[in-house]
Amino acid sequence: MVSWELIYKATVFIAEEMGAALRRSAFSPNIRERVDLSCAVADLEGRIVAQAEHIPVHLGSFRVCVFNLLNWLKERGLELEDGDVIVVNDPYLSGTHLNDIAVLSPVFHKGEVVAYVVNKAHHVDVGGPVPGSINPLAKTVYEEGFLIPPVKLVERNVSNEDLLKLIAANSKTPHVVERDLQAQVAAVGVGVRKVLELFERFGGKVFEAWSEAVSYGRTLSLKRMSDWKRGVYEAVDYLELGEEDLTIKARVDIGEDGVRVDFKGTSPQVEAPLNAVYGVTYAATSYAVRAAMGGEVPTNEGFYSLVEISVPEGSLLNPRKPAPVSGGNLETSQRVVDVVLKALAEAVADRVPAAGSGTMMNIMLGGVGETGYWAYYETVGGGTGGRPGRDGVSGVHVNMTNTLNTPIEVVERSYPILFTGYAIRSGSGGCGRYRGGDGIVRSFKALKPCTLSVLTDRFRRGPYGLWGGSPGAPARVVVKKSGGRVMEMPSKFILNLEEGDEVIVETPGGGGWGPP
Amino acid sequence: MIVAVDVGGTFTDFVYVRDDHTLGFVKMLSTPRKPEEAVLEGLRRVAEEVRVREVVHATTIATNALRGQVSLELPKVAFVTTKGFKDVVEIGRQNRPRLYDFFFEKPKPLASRDLRFELDERVDARGVVLKPLDPEAVEELGLKLRSLGVESLAVCFLHSYLRPEHEKVAGGVLSRYVDYVSLSHRVAPEPREYERASTTLVNAVLQPIVSRYLARLFDGLAEMGVESLYVMSSSGGLVDVEEAAERPVQVVESGPAAGVVAAAELARELGLPKVISFDMGGTTAKAGVVRGFEVELTAEYEVGGEAHYGRIVKGSGYPVRFPFVDLSEVSAGGGTIVWRDEAGALRVGPLSAGAEPGPACFCSGGEAATVTDANLALGRVGESLLAGGLRLDKRAAFKALSKLGDPVEVADEALRLINLEMARGVRLVTVERGIDPSDYVIVAFGGAGPQHAAFVAEELGVREVVVPLHPGFFSAWGLLVADWRFEARKAFPDASSLEDVYAVMEEGLVERVGGVDYFLRYVDARYLGQGWELTVPVGRPARLEDVRNAFEAKHEATFGFKLGLELEVVVARVFAVKRRMKPRLKRPAASSIARVGLRKVYFEGSWLDAPVYWRDSLPTGFSLEGPAIVEEYDSNTVVPPGWSFTVGEAGELRLTKAG
Repeated sequence: MVSWELIYKATVFIAEEMGAALRRSAFSPNIRERVDLSCAVADLEGRIVAQAEHIPVHLGSFRVCVFNLLNWLKERGLELEDGDVIVVNDPYLSGTHLNDIAVLSPVFHKGEVVAYVVNKAHHVDVGGPVPGSINPLAKTVYEEGFLIPPVKLVERNVSNEDLLKLIAANSKTPHVVERDLQAQVAAVGVGVRKVLELFERFGGKVFEAWSEAVSYGRTLSLKRMSDWKRGVYEAVDYLELGEEDLTIKARVDIGEDGVRVDFKGTSPQVEAPLNAVYGVTYAATSYAVRAAMGGEVPTNEGFYSLVEISVPEGSLLNPRKPAPVSGGNLETSQRVVDVVLKALAEAVADRVPAAGSGTMMNIMLGGVGETGYWAYYETVGGGTGGRPGRDGVSGVHVNMTNTLNTPIEVVERSYPILFTGYAIRSGSGGCGRYRGGDGIVRSFKALKPCTLSVLTDRFRRGPYGLWGGSPGAPARVVVKKSGGRVMEMPSKFILNLEEGDEVIVETPGGGGWGPP
Repeated sequence: MIVAVDVGGTFTDFVYVRDDHTLGFVKMLSTPRKPEEAVLEGLRRVAEEVRVREVVHATTIATNALRGQVSLELPKVAFVTTKGFKDVVEIGRQNRPRLYDFFFEKPKPLASRDLRFELDERVDARGVVLKPLDPEAVEELGLKLRSLGVESLAVCFLHSYLRPEHEKVAGGVLSRYVDYVSLSHRVAPEPREYERASTTLVNAVLQPIVSRYLARLFDGLAEMGVESLYVMSSSGGLVDVEEAAERPVQVVESGPAAGVVAAAELARELGLPKVISFDMGGTTAKAGVVRGFEVELTAEYEVGGEAHYGRIVKGSGYPVRFPFVDLSEVSAGGGTIVWRDEAGALRVGPLSAGAEPGPACFCSGGEAATVTDANLALGRVGESLLAGGLRLDKRAAFKALSKLGDPVEVADEALRLINLEMARGVRLVTVERGIDPSDYVIVAFGGAGPQHAAFVAEELGVREVVVPLHPGFFSAWGLLVADWRFEARKAFPDASSLEDVYAVMEEGLVERVGGVDYFLRYVDARYLGQGWELTVPVGRPARLEDVRNAFEAKHEATFGFKLGLELEVVVARVFAVKRRMKPRLKRPAASSIARVGLRKVYFEGSWLDAPVYWRDSLPTGFSLEGPAIVEEYDSNTVVPPGWSFTVGEAGELRLTKAG
């Protein structure tokens, strides 16, 4: 007698082992060290059975990605064969942004498709005018990088080398993209082999076990929501674009069978890279729901089936092609979390904190040096919101990101930059019965002329407090020119730095919880 | 006589080799508040039989201090760094240990904000002094530290691994005001400010605790006439008391390292070049790798943090840059609890009933079903352990399991789940490091290891399992067979004269430890511009060209490709090894083969008749097909159907899979 638990656990380990294989053979530090990747096993209908994820934005967006891909193939009457690998990065299908390239393979057992395995990884550069392919000035997705529609990178175990070269040649770091893509293909190979072994060992029992695992995920998730106050809750918050405030509005309906979120009233899409594709909106919403549940919840369709969203087409959270989307992952996703959590706070008062920093504070530096083009990308953490019963945490990444910083000693060795400080921004957390965590001050001097590109938010409104707590301090970027002039900068800009110019980045503190 | 003392969470084990080459042992309950009490008491008992001249010791005092063991109060520790950067140790790497938990906490900085200080000095990434250190400011700081009652101090300036002068000056001045001073360039001379600062702080916290403990212990030993004391380091070698007291950061994983060292020595004796050590006790299972008779090391580790399914949760503890035996740890032991979660799924662990209240079948107050109960219910463990010293109650086991469903089915499922979980623990240190476990041999030990090893092997495609003599005391045995090992390193050495770099370090080590048998040289190197390093061995004379070839070969083996780019040597490291005399064990002469009986044992859905043998009675060369059970004082080995076993020359049991 073999229980579903054993088969399910083995499936979870397969997803993890794919992740390990990808990490091990990838080239870029972003995949290897920052682990910006996810892997999953999906059943015949494309339902996620087991997922190993390290970055919250891949939670949920993966589900959208697999559904979209299988639909796309079905609509065109395309059938996958044993040994095929599909590659795609079109955000309007794959559900995040161009940098995230997904690969998917069918698993054949006795001549029939029995499952799909899929992984997604963040590539550091996928073309476009700026290093890192996050272009603050993009007006369409075409100014962010290259698009890959679903195409076969491997057909019946034969790799399409021309296609691989074509993709790689469009990146500013072609050999990195090539290596990383090969690693992704190798990783789905591991997944296919392992899932096949599972079927060879347990046969048709695998299908039963997976169904059981999905309904188990659903039952457990429902239990975690059982004490949520049923009802409809609304919340609103804003993103900054120039002088304008973009509105994000959510109406959260908590019922017996899960959470439905309607984003009606959200601003229309914009000609700036702040649009979040549907997959990102789903990811951010499911993150908020999952985190509010607390405890252990299996990441599979059982959980996903409880989260439903409705987003007006053509809005900031469900744009039409070709709206640019690179910042949707980074900044807009954070605000979606803030809004959904604000609404949930009324239903789950004892588990939802005040708003955390709410911006990833993307700082990109680049220039031409003696050894060619150099580019350095960093995100800076902030404070988390005050929590029911506990103060917030200072100086960490919140919600949709959790990447590591780059050590100062490593940056200084690699790039013409000298750091002048890296400190907790004391007093930036909002007041309250439980204080918000403090943000960070990270400051550095340019030792050579270079270009600074900044994509941040929360400059005008600090992260909100809850239940009478005050908001955290807003973010701030100051440039001190070597001549002595001090420039107070906006939240999104590109600026040429001269030797000796100092940049001081101050990140938001979290909001306070409860009256002080 | 040399006695090994292995302090564990529950028991303190004492192991020595008698004149007739048999193993002598004593087991004492540990005394966590004052570990030296159990150690000295046990040694007194040993001394009734033999004269104790030397003690080799694995200690948990450092781990317990960092895990916040109630009774071990942490000393008042201050931190001094470059102006602008005192919060580096609080920010860490900016990540949070758990993604979906709003109520996470970062590890509490080992020096609180009011005890972190800055000095106005700066060195750049090339080692150029941009701002000299003002000695007067250091004196002022010293007065302040003294008035605050600071006991121990960590000093870590930016880029000090390149240019340590400022730390040396600060150290010279401040040691006049503070009892213990840890300087980052001495503790962990490597780039990456957070990891280096963290290592230095951990060292500073441990210094007063470990050095006082060792002093108390040594005094006690001296009274008993013991002449020398050595401590197992996390890298699998013994160090002397001075070294352990000066850099206590290296004894944090003292105990777990000993088991892998024992496996390495056994591998050498049996001529097995590829070995997985599999150590399963009451609460955890640990896996490590031994290649070419040397234990595999890792350069970084997090201490005082949490583990999740065998992997250290990054950001939950304090990173330490020091060579550690590369181990994965899974919450899986005899006491691990079998349960159903609120949605009805059968689960095993991570909670453990430990020794208290223990498995249900111990009848000592435990009511939850455990892995031992499952083994007992299926007949894989007999009803008496420790030669009758511990009776197991089968009815109590069935009763506990019945609460979760059909007791036999539950037991069978639970064991399959835990075996899968442990196989995954092994995969972390093999598959994830680019090693294919299927051509390795598992060395299984710990009280529960031999019960599970064949099943874990099946999951991994491993075809051979070796169970050493006295598996329950094998970790302590590792202390008796370990060598001395002292470490030195240099960051960004001059790659054009590598041999000189090693020569200087080796000279220093010889001066420090006297006669050295051999050196083990390593570099941590990377392709220029890459963010991670690989460790490769270095020959004699050290030539960059050879390093380069070794690096590329390892890169290819580990990652599947090489790049032919320029190489950067980040750290040159050397261990001075002094071999120690290896004791030999002789098995008591086998009397007549004692078949204890036949037992119904449950395998793969049916009850089979398995013969049960008493291990000590089996002669060398004895061989049998499974199913079979081999019992002994401190463990028992399960040979499933489809496997057979033979008694080897060294008394080891060799299990092989048929076909």
